[in-house]
Amino acid sequence: MTIESILSTSLVSGLTFSGWALYFLHLRRRHSRSQNPSRNQAENVSARTTEKLEISKKELELVFDAIPEQVYIIDRNFTILRANKSFSQFVIQPVKKIPGNRCFSLQWNRECNCTDCPATTTFDQGVPIIKKLLSRSGNSDVKYYEMSTFPVIDNSGKTLHVIVFTKDITDEKQMIEQIIRSEKLASIGNMTAGVAHEMNNPLSGISGNATNLLRMPQKYGLNEKGISRVTTILNSAAHATAIMNDLLHLSNRPEQTSILVNINALLAKTANAVYINGSQEIERSYRLDEQLPPVQCDPSKIQQVIVHLVTNAILAIIDKKNTLLNDTPYKGHIVLSTQQFNNQVLINISDNGIGISDNARLKIFDPFFSTRPTGQGTGLGLSVSTKIIEQHSGKIFFETINDITQFSILLPFQQTNPEIAEYVTK
Amino acid sequence: MAEEQKSTGPYRILIVDDEKAIRMMLLDYLENSYEIEAAETGEEALTILAGSSFDLVISDINMPGMSGPQLLSEIRVKYPGTKTALITAYNVDEYIKTAKEYSITNIIPKTVPFNFAELDFIVHGLVSGEIFGLARYLLEKGTILENHMIKSSSDARRIQNHLIELFESKFGTSGDMKLILDEIITNAMYHAPTLSDGTEKYQEFNDIQLEPHEYIHIECGYDDEKYAVAVTDRQGRLTKETVLYKIERQITGEGLLDDSGRGIHMSRLFADRMIINIDPNNKTEVILINYFSNKYRGYKPLYINEL
Repeated sequence: MTIESILSTSLVSGLTFSGWALYFLHLRRRHSRSQNPSRNQAENVSARTTEKLEISKKELELVFDAIPEQVYIIDRNFTILRANKSFSQFVIQPVKKIPGNRCFSLQWNRECNCTDCPATTTFDQGVPIIKKLLSRSGNSDVKYYEMSTFPVIDNSGKTLHVIVFTKDITDEKQMIEQIIRSEKLASIGNMTAGVAHEMNNPLSGISGNATNLLRMPQKYGLNEKGISRVTTILNSAAHATAIMNDLLHLSNRPEQTSILVNINALLAKTANAVYINGSQEIERSYRLDEQLPPVQCDPSKIQQVIVHLVTNAILAIIDKKNTLLNDTPYKGHIVLSTQQFNNQVLINISDNGIGISDNARLKIFDPFFSTRPTGQGTGLGLSVSTKIIEQHSGKIFFETINDITQFSILLPFQQTNPEIAEYVTK
Repeated sequence: MAEEQKSTGPYRILIVDDEKAIRMMLLDYLENSYEIEAAETGEEALTILAGSSFDLVISDINMPGMSGPQLLSEIRVKYPGTKTALITAYNVDEYIKTAKEYSITNIIPKTVPFNFAELDFIVHGLVSGEIFGLARYLLEKGTILENHMIKSSSDARRIQNHLIELFESKFGTSGDMKLILDEIITNAMYHAPTLSDGTEKYQEFNDIQLEPHEYIHIECGYDDEKYAVAVTDRQGRLTKETVLYKIERQITGEGLLDDSGRGIHMSRLFADRMIINIDPNNKTEVILINYFSNKYRGYKPLYINEL
C-alpha cells in the first residue's frame, strides 16, 4: 500500500488527521524493520537505525497518547497489542497492563467477540469500517460511540493487524437530536395551534351539555349511574382542555401583549400566589434587585412561567420530604432573586428539593415529559415556559449545585420608557 | 333570576351556531327562562327572523356561508330593536378588530366548563336593559358587602386600601385588584369630569375634592364562586366605540405609548371579568370580577353594554 493510497483511503473513510499520522508512523516503523541491509553496512548503520527507531517509537507513543479518541491495535484473535492513554482511561487500567487482553472483554465487558464486530470485517476484507454504536451500562446514561477500524496490511496484502478507533459522540448525537426535535416541534406547533383552536368548540359543547345533564337530570331522565358517568365526561373534557391550552402555548401564534413591567413585583406577587397542599411549610425568600429597570414583556405569560417554575420547586420539596423519615430535620426553602445582567434581567428560582435525576436532565424540556404520575399535570409546563421565554427573546436554563436546583430566566429589558414603567409599577 | 324572567314576559332569543352540540347546550339551558329558536347558518337565521321578531340573537363567529359578524350587522340594519351578541371558542382578542368594525360589543367565550351563570346575567342584561347594579351579576346566594362614596382623592386612596384589606382578610386573596382598582378609580375621578370646553377638569395625581355630582360610587360583593367590585361615575362619558378603540390599540401593540387606554386594557387583562355598562351622559359602571377557582380563566370575553 502506497502513501497516496493510504491518504486516499483515509480521506474516503473520513479518518482524522491524527489517525492518519498514527498509521503513517506505524508503517514507517514496519518499513524500517523490513529492510535487509548487508552485514557490513549493518554494523555502521545499526547504531543510527536503533537511534532512529527510538525516536520513531517515542514519536509514535506521543502521537498515540495525544489522540483524544480511544485507540488500540489488535491481532486476529482480538488480542490488544497496544493502546493509547485515552483508552486506558476509559477502561481504567494502566497502559502497560492492557496488551494481552481481549478487546471485547476489556472495552465492552463481554465474554466473546461482538456480533457485527467491525474489526472482523476489516480483517477479512482489508477495508476500513465505520460503525456507530450505543452502550448502556447499568443505570447510567446511554452513550453513543463511533467505532472505526483500519487495516494494517503487510507486503503480501494480508491484513496483519487492525487499528480500532473509538470516539464518544454522545454530545454530537444529542445536539443533532435536539435540532431534529426543535424542527419537529416547530411544525407540530403550527399544526397544533389550528387543531387546539378547533378542539375548543366541540369540547365546549361536550362540557356544556354534560353540565346541563347534571343540572337538570329529570329533564333528561337521568338516573344516579348516569349522573356519575356524565360527571366523568365533564372531568375528561376539563382535562382535555387543560392539555389543549398548554399545547396552544407551544405554538407560535402571536397572542402577545407587550408592556413595561416591574419584574420584582410580578415575581413576588406570582410566587406568593402559588399554593399547593403542603406548600405552607415551605419558606420563600426574595433577593430582589431594587434598582432593576422595568422589562418589556407580556406579564400574564411571564407570570405563567413563574407559576410553572415555583410549582415545580414546591413539588420537588414535597417529594424530598416524602423520601425522608419523619424525624429527619429538613426545611424546604425556595429562593427567588432578580439581578441586572448587562441589558437583561436574570431571574433565579432555586429550591433544596429532590433535584433532577441524570436521566431526566436531558428530557425535562421535552413536551409531555413528566416525572409525575399520569393525570397529574400535562408534562408541558417546561416546554411551554421555554416557548414563552423564547418568544420574549430570552433564555431559560437550569443548574444543580450540591442540593440546590436552580432555574434561571434571562429576559432582555428591550425598551425602557419611564412613563410606562411608572404606570405599571404604581 | 328565572322567575323574574317569566314575570316580565318571555323574551325571544335566536341561537345561531353550526355546531349542533353548542346549539343544544344553549337551547337546553336558556329555554328554562326564554323562548328559544335555533338556526344552523346565518342564512337560516335571516329566514327565521323574517317570520317573527326576536329580542336577542346570539351567533357563532365562524360558520359556513355567512359569518357571525356579517349576520349581526345585517340584523342591526333590518331589525334595529334586536340585540346581538357573538359567541366563540376562539380567542376573543383576535376579534376585537372585527367587533370594532361591526360595532359588536358583546362576545361570549365558549369556556370549558361553560360559564352558564355568566350567560344568565349577560343575556338578561341584553334583553331587559337592566344592566346596572352589582347585585345582578351575583348568584342567588350572593351578598353585597359594602357601599362607599368617593368624594375626594384621599377618599379614593383610603377606600382602595380598605377594599384590598377586606378581600385579603375575607377571601385570602385580592388578585390584581389593587392595580385594577387604582386604574379604574383614577379614570372615573380624573378622566371623567370635564369642563364645558370638553377638557379634563382635574389633573391626574393632584389632590382633589369632587363636587357632589362627580362622586364615585363603589359597591363590592361576593357569591359562591367569585368576588366583585363595581365602580360607577355619574358622567357617562365613556362610549363603547372609545373602549373598543382603546382595547384594540393595546392588543395590537400600537397603543404601547398612548397616554390613555392602558388602564382599561390592563384591567381587562388582570381581572377575570370586566363588564362596562354605559348610560350615555348619565353614568358609567365598570364591574370587575375575580373567580375563586381558575376554571373560567382562558379567553377573556368582551362585555360592553350601552343603553
